[in-house]
Amino acid sequence: MTPRWISRCCVVLFACVLLYPLTGLFARVGPWRWDEAVANPTLSSIRVSLLWTGAAMLIVLLVGTPVALYVARAAPGERLWWQSILILSILLPPLALGILLSMAFGPAGWAGRWLDHAGVRLSNNAPAFVMTQVYVSIGYYVLGAIAAFRSISPMLEKQAALLGQPPWRVFWRVSFPLARLGLAVAFSVAWVRALGEFGAVVVTAYHPSGMPVQLWVNLQSFGLPAVMPLLLVFLVTALPLPWVAHLLAQRRPHA
Amino acid sequence: MLDAHILKRRRDLTVDIRLTIENGHSLGLFGASGAGKSTILSCIAGIEQPDEGSIRFGEIQLFPPPLPLHLRPVGYLTQEPHLFPHLTVAGNIAFGLERQPTEKDNGWLADLRTSLQLNDVWGAPAARISGGQARRVALARMLARRPPLVLLDEPFAGLDRQLVREMIEGLLAWKNALGFTMIVVDHQAHVLERLSPHVAVIERGQLIQQGDWEQVRAAPATDSLRKLLAPL
Repeated sequence: MTPRWISRCCVVLFACVLLYPLTGLFARVGPWRWDEAVANPTLSSIRVSLLWTGAAMLIVLLVGTPVALYVARAAPGERLWWQSILILSILLPPLALGILLSMAFGPAGWAGRWLDHAGVRLSNNAPAFVMTQVYVSIGYYVLGAIAAFRSISPMLEKQAALLGQPPWRVFWRVSFPLARLGLAVAFSVAWVRALGEFGAVVVTAYHPSGMPVQLWVNLQSFGLPAVMPLLLVFLVTALPLPWVAHLLAQRRPHA
Repeated sequence: MLDAHILKRRRDLTVDIRLTIENGHSLGLFGASGAGKSTILSCIAGIEQPDEGSIRFGEIQLFPPPLPLHLRPVGYLTQEPHLFPHLTVAGNIAFGLERQPTEKDNGWLADLRTSLQLNDVWGAPAARISGGQARRVALARMLARRPPLVLLDEPFAGLDRQLVREMIEGLLAWKNALGFTMIVVDHQAHVLERLSPHVAVIERGQLIQQGDWEQVRAAPATDSLRKLLAPL
């Protein structure tokens, strides 16, 4: 057996160990439970997760993309400063972030009091859910998007501008097409991060429950048979986007 | 007329220079590597901003305040072709034209395509063509918009003599046809001489001599210029 084959076998073994937890889907937990008591809140959690995570991702995209473009083209010193702030936002443990969000946007916080005056409450409702999803995921998206934009030579954008293209058309015709796969990867990481968020959401928006919170509720209330259907749906909705994005990114010809 | 006073401070060099070029004329910027020639072009193009000074081309004030790049009537060609790798050769060349090119645009593109021998690669992805072809595509892309001010920063470096000869002949023909004003930077005197009868010599960021090539060759202002002009 050649050294290359030995290495390959080791990697196969590693992959098997890595994917082994997925075999839990076939574990003998008894018949999967899908009666009314389980199905209604489970379906509701799927709807909540997909709808409000989708809304959060729209905000992440619309706010995060211009920020990333700005930071990517900033001077090195300034860029480092912004990146350190973004990294700080993703380093916070989710539960700690949830508690901090509750304090900052609750009645005790400056923004919370101001929002309260305006009649907006950010606790246990859809806006609180969306806000939390945005906070937990936007740092991942922006950092990934900065890397994607920085992979493009600034001279390409300047050449495009010198060819008479205003800034928005330079973005649309040069920056975006060249960065799109990197942006897709960043977006998919943010999507998975938001969709799977439990620690922060359980503090700020226990209701309406998204899939991770409902998984916990099902486990606590009904045991494993009630968890398995939701677990399957969770994997099917969370996995394909980042998986395809990463595969496409590996194939990109002009990185 | 291009009227420029550029003051640009760098860590190791301060470029401080005044240039005036009549419309439709050309000027070669000659000097050793690192003399500040490229900085001058870069400031006129708008890639960099001067620290002080003013740049005016006809009625258009380029600096100060810095005019946005997309409003500058400038074609800028550098050593690196900087083609858009996600587009075809045709997409690159037509990039600066309106979405619906006019009949006149199409005729001009066909002329560029033939003259620069791009027929074989016209539909090819720009990322998959050779270095020499990429330079020709970059030249065609710059000329496609018919800019009134053309800035060339060592556009022929590293190309074989035959290709350089063809590109120079093409440039001179298009300059006569389109009447653009042209500034060319190169450290090879024989290349510059072909492109422009007038030369401005730059040394350590300063203009040390200006005139026709004959005048400069007959009485170089400094020893280092004499050495630069000496045959190998």
